[in-house]
Amino acid sequence: MKNYKRFILIMLFCAVAFVISFSFFMDFSPISGKSDQFVQDKQALKRLLHNSSEIHRIWKAGEESREWSLISEECKKELRITKNFDESLLRCSPLLLQCHSLFSKNLDYSLVTFEESGNLPFRYLTKSNSSYQGLREVGIAVTLVDKKSLKKLDIFLEDNCHEVYLEQRAYAYGEQIEIKDGEDYRFDNFDRHIYLDTHLVTNFDINMWLKFGNPDFTKGISEKKEDELFLPAVFLTYTQMESYCSYKGRQVLQAHFLDAASFLPMDLNEKIPKRNLRSPYYWTKKASEYKSDCKLLYSKDCLGKREYQTNSSQPSWAGLFDTMGGVFEAVRNPIDGESNLKASSYYFDSKSSWHKIGFRAGWNGEGFGLRDFDFRGLNPYVNIDKFKVGFRCMREILQ
Amino acid sequence: MYERNPPMKNILILTIIFLFSCSEINSKSQSLAEVDWLLSSEWIYATKIVGPQYNNEEITRPPGVEQLVMSIVLPDLGGLNSKHQCLYYTVKFKEKKSSFRIQEFKNVDKCPEISDNERENFVYIEGIDNLKLAFKSYQIIMNFKHNKKESVIEIMLPNIEEGLIHNKYEAITTKSLRPGLKLLRLTEESFDFASNKNLGKLSDRFSLGTAIRCQQVNKNCESVGENRCEMCRYGWYEVVDFQCPNGGSKFCGQNHCGEKNEPACPRGTRVVPIEEAGLCQSDLGPVANFEKILVCQ
Repeated sequence: MKNYKRFILIMLFCAVAFVISFSFFMDFSPISGKSDQFVQDKQALKRLLHNSSEIHRIWKAGEESREWSLISEECKKELRITKNFDESLLRCSPLLLQCHSLFSKNLDYSLVTFEESGNLPFRYLTKSNSSYQGLREVGIAVTLVDKKSLKKLDIFLEDNCHEVYLEQRAYAYGEQIEIKDGEDYRFDNFDRHIYLDTHLVTNFDINMWLKFGNPDFTKGISEKKEDELFLPAVFLTYTQMESYCSYKGRQVLQAHFLDAASFLPMDLNEKIPKRNLRSPYYWTKKASEYKSDCKLLYSKDCLGKREYQTNSSQPSWAGLFDTMGGVFEAVRNPIDGESNLKASSYYFDSKSSWHKIGFRAGWNGEGFGLRDFDFRGLNPYVNIDKFKVGFRCMREILQ
Repeated sequence: MYERNPPMKNILILTIIFLFSCSEINSKSQSLAEVDWLLSSEWIYATKIVGPQYNNEEITRPPGVEQLVMSIVLPDLGGLNSKHQCLYYTVKFKEKKSSFRIQEFKNVDKCPEISDNERENFVYIEGIDNLKLAFKSYQIIMNFKHNKKESVIEIMLPNIEEGLIHNKYEAITTKSLRPGLKLLRLTEESFDFASNKNLGKLSDRFSLGTAIRCQQVNKNCESVGENRCEMCRYGWYEVVDFQCPNGGSKFCGQNHCGEKNEPACPRGTRVVPIEEAGLCQSDLGPVANFEKILVCQ
C-alpha cells in the first residue's frame, strides 16, 4: 500500500513537472523566437508596402520618373525603339515597369514574371479575364518579392492615366449651321460623368489585348513591335474596335462627344450659352483663323517635315490629342450612322476642306481600300492600298 | 475494483492533467507581436470599415461585458468573395481580465453583436487595457496598454476608398491612401473563368432582348434593387426613361444607342425640351416602349 502511494506521488510529481516544463517550453523559449519572427515579418510587410508605393509612383509619373531617365536608353535598346515617340504614353504603361524590373539597379525587391503572360512581370486584369471582385477599374496586377524575406505582395495599378473628364455643359454636334434660323443639334451632359481617351489606341494597347483578352475576339490580329509599338492601331475592323473597348469596359467614342471635346467653347464660364457658336478649328474661336502648322494639324504637308507619331498635334480644350490631322479616326455616330470617320488626316494637304471639326466621311468598318470609304466626292489624291484608321474609347462612370 | 486496477486510475488522472494543460495552452492569449502581424497582414486588404464605435476615445464601458467595437470587410484569398472580421472587446472588471478578440465570418452582411463561443478566434489577447481605436489618414491606429506597457499598432489601409473625384481635364481619381493603387490577394482562382460572376456577353444587345439591366430606375426616380453596373463584364450604358436627375436605367454591354430598335441616347434636358431628351439616328425617332424606355424606331 505504501509503495502504491509512493508510486502515485512519483507519477503526480512527474506529471506536474512535465506540464510545467512543457508550458515553460511553449510559453517562453519559442515565443521569444516566434515574436522575433513576427517582428521581422511585419518589417518585411512594411518594406513591401513602401516598395508598392514606389512602383505606383513610377506607374503614374511615367516618363517624368527618375527611373525612366536612368533606364530609357537600355529600355529602348531592349525594345528596339529607334524613333521618337510621345513619352507621356509611358504613364500607366506596363512597359516601363517591365524595363524597371530588368534594368533598375540596387532594388531590394523584384517583380515575379508570369509564364502564362510570356514571362512578363505583370498581368492585365479586366472584368472579363478576372474573377476578382470589387475592382472598379481595369489595370495591371504585379507581384512584388521582398528580397530579404522572400515575402510576396500582389498589387493592382489602375490603368486610367490617359482619359479626361468631359466637363458638364451644353454642347453641339457637327459643324455650325450657317443658314439663318437654322437649328443646331445641341445636347448636354449635366449629371453625367463621361471620360474620353486622350489618345488613339496604340499597338502596344492592342498587344496587351492579344495577350490577356479573349482569343475568340482577337483572331487575325497580329502583334506589333519595335517602332510601331506606340503608333496608333490602324488596321482593326469596327467590330474589333468595339471588342477592344468592351474588354476595357468602355465604348467606342461617339461622334457627338468627339465634337464636344474638340469645339472650343466661346466662354468656358458660360455652361449653357444661348447658342453654341463654334469655330471649325480646335485651337481658335475664330473661323477665319486657320493655320497651316504641323503642331496643330498634322496634314499631308507635314509628312516630309517630321515623322508622324501618336499625339502629333496639340490637345483640344478638353485634353484630346489628334482631333484633327494624323490618321483617320473611326467613331460611332448615333445621329448619322454613315458619318463615322474623322477624315481630317495626313491623307489630305493643309488646304483640304476635310480639315474641319465635325465634318466627317463614311467608312464601312470592314476594309481599308478606297472603296471602303465615302469621301463625299472629296477623295484624297494619294495612291494607297490601305488607309490607316485609328480609334479611341470612352466610358461613363457611376455617380 | 479500486484496489484491483490502481494503474488505470493513475493513467486517468495523468490524462486529465495532460488534457487540462493542453486546453490551457490552446485558449492562451497570443503575443502582442503575433497579434500585430496577424492584423497587419490581413487588414491591409480591408475594403470597408464599420466603426470604430469610439473614435479615438478610450473604451471604458461597459465593464466585464464583451462588445463589438469594429467590423472590417475584406476579400478572401483569391478575391472571389468577401468576409467580415469582427473585433470584440471586453473592458476589465474586478478579477475578469480585459480581452480583445477577433472572429471571422463569411457570407454575412454584418458582424454579430456578440462573439460566437464555438468559433475559432482569429486573434485573442488578454490584458489589453485603455484601448483607443481611430481611423485616421487611411490608417487604423490602436492605442492600448498591454501588461501595463503603452503600445500602439498602426495598420495602413490602401484599399479603403471614400468616393470618386471628378475634375475637368483630369483622369478619374479616388479619395484613398494612394489613388490608383490597390492590394490584391491573388490565387489561380482569381483568373478562373468559371468563377467569373461578372455580367453580360459581348453579343448582348438591347434590340435582341439579351442585354442585362444592371440598374432599374422607377418613375419616382428611385433605384429599384441593387445597382450592379460595376459588375458589367463589358461596360454599361444609360437609357432615357424617366428624366431623373441621377440618370435613367442602365444596361450592361456595348452601346448601340440611336440605332434601329436600340435605346435612344441621352441628350440631356437643359438645352432641348423634355420630349426631345432621346437622340436617334436621323431617319428614326424615339418611341417609349412598355417600360417607358425611349427606343429608336
